[in-house]
Amino acid sequence: MKVEIVNLKKHFGVTRAVDDVSFAFSSGQIVGFVGPNGAGKTTTMRILATLDEPTAGDALIDGVSAVEEPERARQLVGYVPDSLPTHRDMSVHEYLDFFARAYGLKGVRREKVVEGVEEFTGLTEIHNKMLVALSKGMKQRVSLARALLHDPQVLIMDEPAAGLDPRARIELRELLRALSSQGKAILISSHILTELSEICHAAVIIERGNVLMAGEIADLLTDGARRRTVLIRALEGRETLYRELLETPRILKVNFAGEEVVAEIDGDDQACCDLLATLVRRGHRVVEFKQQRANLEEIFMNVTKGATQ
Amino acid sequence: MTAESILKESGARGGLGDRINPIVVKELRQAVQSRFVIATLLTLLSVQIVAIGIYVLASGASLFRFDAGRQSFLMLFAILQSIGMIFTPLYTGARLAAERSDTNVDLLFITTIKPRSIIAGKMFAAMTLTALIYSACMPFMTFTYFLRGIDLPSIFISLGVGFVVVIACVQVAVFVALIPVNRALKVIFGLVALIVFGVAYFVTMFGVNDLIGRGFVARFSWQLAVSLGAITVFLIGLFFVMSVALIMPVSSNRALPVRLFITAAWLLTGVAALTGSLIEEDYRLLIVWLVTFEIIFALALFASVSERDRPGRRVLRSIPRSLLGRARTFFFFSGAANGLAWASLMIALTLAAAVACVGPFLVYRNADDLIDGAKWMGGMCLYFFCYSMTGALLRRHMFTRVGTELTWLIGAMLLIVGSLAPFLTGYIMVFKDQWWSEDLGAWWVGNPFAWGNKGHRVLYTSVGGVWAVLVAAMSLPWFIERLRSFRPTSRVTASDDIESVPRAMASESPSATD
Repeated sequence: MKVEIVNLKKHFGVTRAVDDVSFAFSSGQIVGFVGPNGAGKTTTMRILATLDEPTAGDALIDGVSAVEEPERARQLVGYVPDSLPTHRDMSVHEYLDFFARAYGLKGVRREKVVEGVEEFTGLTEIHNKMLVALSKGMKQRVSLARALLHDPQVLIMDEPAAGLDPRARIELRELLRALSSQGKAILISSHILTELSEICHAAVIIERGNVLMAGEIADLLTDGARRRTVLIRALEGRETLYRELLETPRILKVNFAGEEVVAEIDGDDQACCDLLATLVRRGHRVVEFKQQRANLEEIFMNVTKGATQ
Repeated sequence: MTAESILKESGARGGLGDRINPIVVKELRQAVQSRFVIATLLTLLSVQIVAIGIYVLASGASLFRFDAGRQSFLMLFAILQSIGMIFTPLYTGARLAAERSDTNVDLLFITTIKPRSIIAGKMFAAMTLTALIYSACMPFMTFTYFLRGIDLPSIFISLGVGFVVVIACVQVAVFVALIPVNRALKVIFGLVALIVFGVAYFVTMFGVNDLIGRGFVARFSWQLAVSLGAITVFLIGLFFVMSVALIMPVSSNRALPVRLFITAAWLLTGVAALTGSLIEEDYRLLIVWLVTFEIIFALALFASVSERDRPGRRVLRSIPRSLLGRARTFFFFSGAANGLAWASLMIALTLAAAVACVGPFLVYRNADDLIDGAKWMGGMCLYFFCYSMTGALLRRHMFTRVGTELTWLIGAMLLIVGSLAPFLTGYIMVFKDQWWSEDLGAWWVGNPFAWGNKGHRVLYTSVGGVWAVLVAAMSLPWFIERLRSFRPTSRVTASDDIESVPRAMASESPSATD
């Protein structure tokens, strides 16, 4: 199963919400879709979920076009929007049963599917509770359960972690990991980047409707960071080291951190190597030279400008 | 197990419960758990008990008059109808508007359920709820039979009429709830709908009173009942297809069901009106048909220019490849040019049909009125065409930042200005103190509703004609371009240079993106 976003464009009048976006991902991958508000994430996701039509381009799910064949594409996609279920006078079970009916599930099979999904998402205990009485975390689970009813191969989740407490987030993370291990391709947008880097295999960073960066999280963290932060511990001469570092080209910032000196280098791994060689050449007795890996948040701040459409 | 295999396996085992529209199941589940519904039902029953009790106790000797049953029935019917015509549309409309305002409806779109089923489900649930209310009140209604002055068929037929009117109101409420405007405008539309319901309430009460008074065997009563019934059914159908169109995704062929329904209704009612006119030797039915459909098509002009300028890809992919197929579907598919072509054609056909009916061998009563009506409606449609096309031209060339869906608003503002500005100019600049004694007809030029003034029709026609030719000529390149681009599109395929997200190292299954 492969999901391909092909030269996708969506214009609202003169506003280019999505402007020639292309990327692909496949079964078992959890892909983080990251960008500032108004970057075009939700629009892209809605097109993939067959809810909107692109101005140009297409979204292909296992070769099925979300634009040309939305009916077939819908069988393959589960969509969790950024809003939570709000139906009044309806219990969790009734809500899921309703959507199971809407997906055409019938009889005993429908009951089994609903029960199975309730069990998987941990809703069995509360399935008779009214929807309006649920917490945000529980509503999010209901929303996820609804999207899983027809056993889709692709799951699109728009800000599922927004407003959840730490426990609910951890539980959601576990659910996503379980779904990924079942071979589902998951596209998830979130502003909580630390969380994304923990659960996602890959990420796509988007701004002003354009993909700025896409790749595996590990690669993004190494290749994507324009700056490196290194912790240096010398056997002696901490202050000298500090002063010399300040005078060294491409060193942006130097701080003390206990026994260590923390330096921010404007460059890649090669620049780190060069710095270490320079320090050794100058006679510093370096005991420890450790590169601090950038996190997704730093990458995001580096590559985006916070601009919206 | 995939959804597909689940569907295949479960298909044969589905019981009655599985065949019911899921929306009906959901709505009724919600209704039986709703305090609002229960409270309304109990209140209605209480009011009915108290009303009939007070009536019986207060009537004294007059209870033995022969119209006591009729009077008490009308009183109970008035209570039932007022609750039915307010509560059920309000309940259904408010719920739908709330669902429409968030993503609940969107979520339904990605299931296998069709927009038509969503509206049908809402309507069927509302009908069930109304039937519940009516059946709960039935004992009080039938009790009036024992007070004399009314027979059981009259009671049941009246209740049937009331039921249909409530359903019509629910359908209008559903339509209003789906109009894609902000909450404030929706409340205004809702209040307008309530005023319409109020008018419908008094018409229903008057009609039922008249029917009970005359008796259902009277020929006039049947004619009236059939005519009103046909109009009600047409309106329910029209609002149904319009509601379906409103709830359909913007990218879909929204106009198709509406245009097909109106065209079919136009044809059927036209044949029926002609047949009725031939039998009665009177053109009144044809006049009603002419006026009704010309108004509908005139409004359709405004709706058409507000449609998407270019049909979406989902519409384009369903265009037939053959020239004949394209020509046939052009008039019915979504798109501003398509809508304009359809509405203009239907206006011309309606006028032609009305004029053709007044031939040398078919000169019946009201023939002059039919010809006059055709001129009046033709003139009105001419001006509607000019205003809508001018609005579309302005939006395309001057107000490029205004969305296509608001073109009707530009046209409507032009219509208001064009209707009033010449008269106000004349009033301020030219008229003397005794303005009411002067002939002002010429100053109403530009007003589509002033064509009743026969003395100035040549002026109105000249101005409208020149304007229509000008605006049509200016829009011709646009129209030809849309006509040429009305052909199926080729499919987008994945290119090799897609910026791919590589597979995670941990994952074992191979990927084409590597």
